[in-house]
Amino acid sequence: MAPLRYLLNRLLLLVPTFLLVMVIIFLLVRLLPGDPAIALLGDKASDAELAAFRERLGLNAPLATQFMLFVSSVLSGNLGTSLMLRAPVWDVILSRLPATIFLTVYSVSLAVLIAGPLAFAAALNRGRWPDTVIRAVFQVGLSMPVFYIGLLLLTFLAAQLRLFPVGGYGKGLAENLYHLFLPAMTVALYTSAILMRNLRAAIIEVLDAEYVQFARAKGLPLRLVLGRHVLRNALISTITLLGLSIGNLMSGTLVTETVFGVPGVGRLMLDAIFGRDYALIQGLTLTFAVLVTLVFLMTDLIQSRLDPRLRLS
Amino acid sequence: MKKTLFAAAVAATLALALTGPLAAQERGGTLKFARYDGSKLVDPIYAERNPDIWMVGSLYSTLLERARDGSGLTGALAASFSQSSDGKTIDITLRDGIRFSDGSPVTAADVVFSLDRARNPDLSPWAGLLGAISGVTGEGAKVTITLSRPDPTILSMLATFNTAIVSRAAFEKAPGATDQEKSAALFAAGGPGAGSGPFYLSGFEQGASMSFKANPYYWKSGADGKPLPYLEGVEFQIIPDDATRILKLQAGEVDIAEFIPFARIAELGTDPNLQMELFPSTRIIYSPINTRATRADGTPNPLADKRVRQALNYATNKEALVSLVLHGAGAPMTSPLMSSSTPMAVKTDPLYGYDPVKAMELMQEGGFAAGTKIKLTTLAGSADDATVFAALQQMWTAVGVELVAEQVDSPTRGAKNRSGEFDIHTYGWVDDIADPSQVVGWLGHTPTAKAVGTGWENKEFNELYDTAAAEMDPERRAAHFRRMQEIYAEEAPLLFMYETPFAVALSAKVTGYVQTPLGANVFEEASLQR
Repeated sequence: MAPLRYLLNRLLLLVPTFLLVMVIIFLLVRLLPGDPAIALLGDKASDAELAAFRERLGLNAPLATQFMLFVSSVLSGNLGTSLMLRAPVWDVILSRLPATIFLTVYSVSLAVLIAGPLAFAAALNRGRWPDTVIRAVFQVGLSMPVFYIGLLLLTFLAAQLRLFPVGGYGKGLAENLYHLFLPAMTVALYTSAILMRNLRAAIIEVLDAEYVQFARAKGLPLRLVLGRHVLRNALISTITLLGLSIGNLMSGTLVTETVFGVPGVGRLMLDAIFGRDYALIQGLTLTFAVLVTLVFLMTDLIQSRLDPRLRLS
Repeated sequence: MKKTLFAAAVAATLALALTGPLAAQERGGTLKFARYDGSKLVDPIYAERNPDIWMVGSLYSTLLERARDGSGLTGALAASFSQSSDGKTIDITLRDGIRFSDGSPVTAADVVFSLDRARNPDLSPWAGLLGAISGVTGEGAKVTITLSRPDPTILSMLATFNTAIVSRAAFEKAPGATDQEKSAALFAAGGPGAGSGPFYLSGFEQGASMSFKANPYYWKSGADGKPLPYLEGVEFQIIPDDATRILKLQAGEVDIAEFIPFARIAELGTDPNLQMELFPSTRIIYSPINTRATRADGTPNPLADKRVRQALNYATNKEALVSLVLHGAGAPMTSPLMSSSTPMAVKTDPLYGYDPVKAMELMQEGGFAAGTKIKLTTLAGSADDATVFAALQQMWTAVGVELVAEQVDSPTRGAKNRSGEFDIHTYGWVDDIADPSQVVGWLGHTPTAKAVGTGWENKEFNELYDTAAAEMDPERRAAHFRRMQEIYAEEAPLLFMYETPFAVALSAKVTGYVQTPLGANVFEEASLQR
């Protein structure tokens, strides 16, 4: 299958995916107990004020009418207005998305930088002490909750040694890199543990494969064997895992953003849910869906590049 | 002992609040403040949440304000004010030379514009508090407020955030078709001109930060005879996590961290680089009890009998709750309807002191069958609520109650309160105005909020509340509120729990910062030693 056709097919598949996401999120939001009018106007609002508010928001309209309004708004590029923040949903999301994307990319980069070399070191020293030490350290990382790792890093590296700021986002690339180092490292430590285990196993499997044994037997230097044959083949399953990890990170930044005071969309989603801000929850979920789908699409494309069998299937 | 310590802390902070900073003030510097939650829109009439309400006074001045010694009201933007003998006319003369933060004069036209906005029910959720005003007129420095009926709270209302004065010219210039759009645009743009408070908004990033700059035209002077504020500005960072806020303060990245968890107060109090302040507040924590004859599922409600509700109050060791939840930094409620610092609070100490024997007798008289399940609805994720549940479960077992927990989030709890689908649930309150009418209306007046959702209804109470709303004689009004507190204590529609201070940790170099009993963050006399 030609690459372009493959890409088009994948893009076409996105249409039913998004439609399904819209239906699910529209219904799920309305299944949440609690009245958006009370959440937004507060406990002290009178019954008359609440009733007027519900009417103004169209919350009294039949579900089907509300859904059609939602879909037509989304199709016309309008995600609605955040009731909680009194601003267009898209503007609110745009103002908070860069911090989350930056944090995600930063975390994944650190995770790859940590996991890659250590996975090779562990695999090439299989069964010997470097392998044992690396696996034991990552096992500890995997066993600790992310918020706990975050607090430990904050307490020792930020509050006591004052090497990094205690949370925040900063202004400009240099400050962003500096402020987000600890939250990115917190996430990276966890993600790299998963990646390292997977990559190590894949490398060991490929090292044992006949074509690698053959390449080494015919005298190819180890560097070339690792780069051309081992890495390329071992990466296939790790890329899948990395794609899934990025998807999880995008939607799972809530804890890190809260602990480190990063103004991203994870914290915004929590506020929106507690505020029963329907438009904002829907807008954020759709944004997450688009981003995660794009990450998965990119993962597929990279995989098909690494493994031509996938393009042909 | 803990109670004495708490009382001493309250007295000390009150003294600080009332006398102001004692040391010579340094001028300049930007104070960095870590907040638990961010503002969304700081506009006198649209401020609905505490993080908005508590910042209004920094950007906007009111006509009147509370006297520093707590003795009553004094002029703020008003040089003088008087009320007619029938209570239906208020005459105000504005101070000479008062200006908004862009240097433009504050005029009677601005006052008329601001009060007309504030009392417009289509705009302001607080308009009901100004329902007695029938008209506002003004010319030059003179303003006249006309009332359709006498309102004993009206002067207090002129010292409340929702009647703060905004610049008419700034609003008219702001883009937008409606008042809401203009307000949002004005706030988003920031800069001087919208108000005449000690600061003006100089930066705002939704959910991340906010900054204030000193208003060079502020009308109040400091101890050195020069205009306040002492600070050049204030920068706010939004740090929702308690531990991170404290770490930021300890690392010296911020000068003040608010809402310190009570469990950390003792530890931070011993840090020589910090000051741990417990500002007296009007915050009360209580639990509404469903008093309806039947529960939402139609089964008979054992809590409908007032003797059972009284018994639960006697069976609750409030001192123990204060110790467990607040680590001693608080005190049991002494008025059934308000905090002890709300005007006209009757102090009954103890209010339902711990008496398990009496509780058991009342349970039996009320026909409560031992082993009956009672559901306590708490906030999911709240450590305080979890502790309250564990303590009550143990205390109430002794009187035959099988207490079970239901954890929900805040909007769900609010909805349950409205619909009556609860037995007992945790709740809290902070006064928005320096008058008991708001909290008493909320907790006890049936037409206002079904007596905080309990469904409790008492004819005498409701009549007293309505009478007090028009009673201009302070003594008679106080007598009405006294009687309402007697009735409410006897009927016990709440589990009366405790009142808490505002726990704030400050760097040792900060002086003059105050959080008022209503929660307002006051920076006008704050200064930084450098």
